[in-house]
Amino acid sequence: MQTDPIYVLLADDDVDDRLFFKEAFEEIKIKTEVQIVKDGMELMNHLCKPGINLPHILFLDLNMPRKTGMECLVEIKTMEQFKDIAIVIYSTSASEQDIEQTFVNGANVYIKKPNDFNTLKKILSEVITINWQYHTSGLDRDNFLLSL
Amino acid sequence: MRLKDIFTSAIFLKSIFALSLFILVIISAISYKHNSSLTRAKEDLIHSYSVRNELELLHSYMKDAETGQRGFIISNDSSFLAPYLGARKNVNRSFFILKKLAVNNKKQQINLDTLYDLVNLKFLYLAKTLNAVSETKTIDSATTLNLLQGKMVMDRIRGRINTMIEIEKIDLKNKQERMESAISFTPLFTFLLLIFSLFVFIASYIKINNNIMVLEDSNAQLMLSTASIRHAEKIGNFSTWHWDLTTNEITFSENQKALLGVETNAPLKIAQFLSFVHPDDKHLIEEGTKKVLMHKLTSSSFFRIIRKDGKIRYFKSIGKIVTDQSGKKILIGINTDITEQHLESLSLEERNKELEQSNKELASFNYVASHDLQEPLRIIQTYISRIEEKEIDTLTSTGQDYFERIKSSANRMQILINDLLLFSRTNKFEKVVEATSLNELLENALIELSPTIEDKNATIEHDELPELKVVPFQMQQLFINLLNNSLKYSKKGVAPVIKIKCELVFAQDVPELKADPLKQFFKITFTDNGLGFEQQYADNIFVLFKRLHHKNEYPGTGIGLSICKKIAENHSGFIRALGIPDEGATFTLYLPYLS
Repeated sequence: MQTDPIYVLLADDDVDDRLFFKEAFEEIKIKTEVQIVKDGMELMNHLCKPGINLPHILFLDLNMPRKTGMECLVEIKTMEQFKDIAIVIYSTSASEQDIEQTFVNGANVYIKKPNDFNTLKKILSEVITINWQYHTSGLDRDNFLLSL
Repeated sequence: MRLKDIFTSAIFLKSIFALSLFILVIISAISYKHNSSLTRAKEDLIHSYSVRNELELLHSYMKDAETGQRGFIISNDSSFLAPYLGARKNVNRSFFILKKLAVNNKKQQINLDTLYDLVNLKFLYLAKTLNAVSETKTIDSATTLNLLQGKMVMDRIRGRINTMIEIEKIDLKNKQERMESAISFTPLFTFLLLIFSLFVFIASYIKINNNIMVLEDSNAQLMLSTASIRHAEKIGNFSTWHWDLTTNEITFSENQKALLGVETNAPLKIAQFLSFVHPDDKHLIEEGTKKVLMHKLTSSSFFRIIRKDGKIRYFKSIGKIVTDQSGKKILIGINTDITEQHLESLSLEERNKELEQSNKELASFNYVASHDLQEPLRIIQTYISRIEEKEIDTLTSTGQDYFERIKSSANRMQILINDLLLFSRTNKFEKVVEATSLNELLENALIELSPTIEDKNATIEHDELPELKVVPFQMQQLFINLLNNSLKYSKKGVAPVIKIKCELVFAQDVPELKADPLKQFFKITFTDNGLGFEQQYADNIFVLFKRLHHKNEYPGTGIGLSICKKIAENHSGFIRALGIPDEGATFTLYLPYLS
């Protein structure tokens, strides 16, 4: 059993999605600590707060007010202190353009929000258990979009 | 330069005239020489006869003198002495004449000198004899000797004279022969030259005559084309101009004045023309001119003209440098009043922009709408899954039934939105076409549909499909949708059989493709043994959301075949359907063959 919890951070403006996300992690039997921010601006402010535990995995919605997920992604990737954060795009859209662009900008995984809670649970636990060492080193366009 | 050009060039005609002139000079020279030779021959003849005549005279004088002397000796009558006495004078005159005649003849001069000595000797003997006879009145032996010696001298004189005559004869003969040989070829040569020059003259005449005829023809054609151009200029609203770069003079055609709205008979000057150009566009003309002068290429400029009546017209001027026959560089050009076209294209452009904009808006609306519709639907579906998992048991059976209906409606909505998204994606043709094996795409489609195929126990036969330039994912979608359609509308209890055939056809063999009969199309047919349909619905089935069956019987959105139609049209092809109720349907896809 692992002892250290996995720090998970979600940035999503949709209240329902935030609820599903939280509930899904509560039901997943993996020790995680989930924190949630409501938009991109809040996300950047949170990450830059001194003394916080940086998340291991950041789930980033793309379509957010004030600052979009894409803008956050570009910003985070330019900052040295965030280089170890695995970034998972978590979006309703599955458009080729969004997938292509986030991949180019350095996101690690792309998840299309599922229509069903069980699928959501499955896909989130899949992401949590990814061997990030492997996944971040060999960036591969083919398994960038995670599907079950 | 080609041979024909050489014959028609002015240089050729000039050379012919130079040649003719030269021949004439030669003929004159030869004739002159010929004539002077004849004159000299005549002179030679006269000279020769004069010499001979004078020598004969001399001889006869001498004979007269001797005869006279003999008569005196015999008769002692002094009247016989008259010829003798006159002879001396005559002889001297003869010698004087002969000396003059022999001035150019050394041999005859020497002979003459000898003859003179002999004549003197003869006269000496005559005088001696005469003196002796006058004194003695008898003929003694000394006189006889004198007479004898006189006779011998006389013989020698005769001999000498004969010799001289003979020399003169030979001389004359030689001269005649020389002259004859000198002038014997002249008549023939002159004749040939004359014939030749006559030929040259006739040839030149024919040539010039031809040239004149060609010139007249060209003139007539030129007049015709000038009239045509004038006509064309009026109809086509343009004018022509040429700018002699050597003299810096610009000439406009008549119609330019009409285009500017000017009524005058005086030719248009460049300054006058420029005064009509819109002040803001004057620099454009300068730039255009500079460009054509610098790069020696065709250049066009586009500018406005303020006509005399104040109306603004749009003009296009195209210039090009040409070199005329004399090597002079001339800038020729056309000014066209393109106001109508310009305004038309402006409004067309405007409308195009509007259309493009509205098209874009429509596409993005479609995309965004279906995309944004997904979000709340997904939330609904997730909540449905939450309730299904945790709360379903707390509902009454009616509540559970309603809940089931909510769920199926939400799912149906999701299928609709997905299909709509798919349809809006086919709207955009931004995906690049690439040479793709249709065979491979069909195989992919079959793999994708394999669960349904297995489920329905379907058989699918297909020909070898070609390689074409297509948008791969769209063409694959088309195959999936067509096959899916056939699988879905199969007869109950009958295993579906779908036959896919492919052939290359000419557009002229397809009634719908009359426009370009030589174009080739791949005709791919999908024939099934399904439900088929009434032919009157053949067009309807491709219309968005149009369905032939109730959704409870056969689930669907009515988008699948619309997508097929759209994809076929995206690839400059089209699709047709043929249905026979309860027998099956045939979908025919035509895709252009681009070699």
